[in-house]
Amino acid sequence: MSFRKRNIGLSTGTDRTSISNSPSQPQRTTQAPPPTPGIRPSPDDGRATISTGSPSLDNLMAGHGGLPLGKILLVEENGTTDFAGALLRYYAAEGVVQDQKVHVIGMPEQWGRTLPGLIGPAEAANEMPDRRKSERMKIAWRYERLGEFGAGVAGARVPAASAGDQIPSSTDGSLETQPAFCHAFDLTKRLIHPSIGNITYMPIAPSREPLLVSIQRKLQVVIASSPPNTVHRIVIPSFLNPTVYPPEVSQPENVLPFLHSLRGLMSLPTSRITAMITLPLSLFPRTSGLVRWMEILSDGVIELCPFPHSSDALSTSGAATAHEEPPQGMLKMHRLPVLHERGGGGDHNIGQDWAFTLSRRKFEIKPFSLPPAEGDTEAQDKARSDKMPKMADLEF
Amino acid sequence: MPSQLALPHLLIPYVSSPPQSSLTVLSSVLGATGNWLVLRFLYAALGTSAASNGEPMVRGHEAGRKSRVVLVSFLQGWEFWRLEAKRLGLDLARLTETQQFAFVDGLSELFSSPTAPAQPSPTLYQYPEAGTAPRTTLPIRSQRSPLAPGPAGLRQPIPVSTTSDGSPHKSAREAGPVKRLHLPVDGVAALDLFEREITAVINRLKSSPGGDGNESEVLLVVDQPDLLLAATGPSRCIGATEIGEWIMGLQQAATATVATVSADSPLIHNASVYAHQAATPLETEHAAFAVELAHRADMVMQLRNLETGAARDVSGVLRVSKGGAWGRRESAGVEESWEEKEVLYFVQRDGGVIVFGRGE
Repeated sequence: MSFRKRNIGLSTGTDRTSISNSPSQPQRTTQAPPPTPGIRPSPDDGRATISTGSPSLDNLMAGHGGLPLGKILLVEENGTTDFAGALLRYYAAEGVVQDQKVHVIGMPEQWGRTLPGLIGPAEAANEMPDRRKSERMKIAWRYERLGEFGAGVAGARVPAASAGDQIPSSTDGSLETQPAFCHAFDLTKRLIHPSIGNITYMPIAPSREPLLVSIQRKLQVVIASSPPNTVHRIVIPSFLNPTVYPPEVSQPENVLPFLHSLRGLMSLPTSRITAMITLPLSLFPRTSGLVRWMEILSDGVIELCPFPHSSDALSTSGAATAHEEPPQGMLKMHRLPVLHERGGGGDHNIGQDWAFTLSRRKFEIKPFSLPPAEGDTEAQDKARSDKMPKMADLEF
Repeated sequence: MPSQLALPHLLIPYVSSPPQSSLTVLSSVLGATGNWLVLRFLYAALGTSAASNGEPMVRGHEAGRKSRVVLVSFLQGWEFWRLEAKRLGLDLARLTETQQFAFVDGLSELFSSPTAPAQPSPTLYQYPEAGTAPRTTLPIRSQRSPLAPGPAGLRQPIPVSTTSDGSPHKSAREAGPVKRLHLPVDGVAALDLFEREITAVINRLKSSPGGDGNESEVLLVVDQPDLLLAATGPSRCIGATEIGEWIMGLQQAATATVATVSADSPLIHNASVYAHQAATPLETEHAAFAVELAHRADMVMQLRNLETGAARDVSGVLRVSKGGAWGRRESAGVEESWEEKEVLYFVQRDGGVIVFGRGE
């Protein structure tokens, strides 16, 4: 680092390349061949990660900048909305675009036809930089993202792009030559990609064995028969939903062994699998022991709490500025991959309240803060004006 | 790796050398997992012999004691434990070769067999798929425990040496030198099978050379046996009582036992009569099991989240309290080296742990 020219900004973009090239990395990276597109070593400890398809979800993953291989992410959702389904579609679409193997469980092929259309690499399609530039306060650009490590990975693209006018240096070039880690998608379009046919569907079909056992077996066979370096994404939309799954499946003795053996399958050192499961919380509340066990068996647990329509006033006022779209709900992180299996703590994102906004082009997660209640402005002003004289009195 | 980082001073009296035939229960919740504490137990038992650089570390009066560890894990694989222990400076692979450590994998093949879908054998007292390759990672010693552990009526002397065919051919599987549990049949028979397999591993470590002639002490760590309970359910005839007896059987084989259980509120409190909804069998059985374990334990270590919300420099709260069996043993005459305490802990990114009192 000390040989770096001081006047060139440090960006994770260049770090990323140096990480993947440096020979002195922990074994994790040497096991995983780095040039596979769509796989990036974590800036935290070098383990291989993949993108969830939405940059802001990647940034929440405890500093890893993506979902580490071998981890299960459980996305729970309250109410009847399908925000989690959108996240899942991004996840699957990203897998398709990266030529990874996507396995969809419990859904027919129509599900795959509703994947969002590709716009391009997330960096290019991200209109964030412009807004950021216009709204930026007068802080030196290289400090403005300081302390936000999780976001620092996204910062790799954002500052490099936003500061592009200031440093027309090699960082931009390296970004372009590198295959994109995460893409942007448009929910209103449909994904057309040559490898979309590679999705395997495992619909719910009656069989002699218990349902989940047969799915598990099929998964094992498919994964075992694919070439060793293939990256697999297992997509389980609206798990246990009674419109899809027969009722006996949601018995603990069916669900938990399935999740456990999924976990076992993914924990093998040779396997390169991630999984994302969505669960409707209205049917399976978090206060039940079954759901708690499902959470314990997953590596990451995220809960989406969409705002009800009645609180539209709240959500509009929750937007910090006029440009920003109002948040559509709260996002709670109950467990993060890797971080929590080590004991938890120490992540900057942990204590925050998060809000999410789903727009046509992205699923954005940002810190949630309530502005002062609107009726209270006079009161606040008055309090301030009350206080001011006192302050003046105190001074001598 | 500095040792004071690996094992904070405040923790030393709790994790080092649990007394003879004691049970330590370690309870965790979703946001405050106990893997780091399990690793501290491993480090306290193995660390001195592993990194014997003349440091008169933790143990004081028992410095010369050779301790060995058997880790049975139902939620984490070998790879996880190996890598995490390496961050502490413990080389589990090497310790396995020197017969100081053994890992029993309850994750990868518990409910499924990866290679061929082997038919579970209808005969109960038989090793499942004893002929197939993946089972024979390590030879099983023919020595039986003289204790005859567990509910003795169910058990007959086992035809031994099914796999003692010479040298251990590790590295046949890249998963590491581990023994894998596989649940072939329903009910108590499966638990008996596990008990025999784990006991065999314990006895192998006990009698392995390297000690001073005496049998060395073996610490057994069972990581989340409650998974067996949750994932099998009453329909497979495994209930809280059966798992409790199973642990008791294992306790008799090992010198000391550490068991971790989940103690999330839905799993414990839903079963109470004051709960508003009817409890599911999963919840009642889990609560019964966890409470039973706590009553049988000498020491209970509870991990939980901060009540006041998440903080950046605190991972959670550790509360150490006396279990139901504390002071009941003869060895309790010896003055106990620990007191009940509640501290905060923080797991750092580099794997080190800071333990401190409130306000420190």
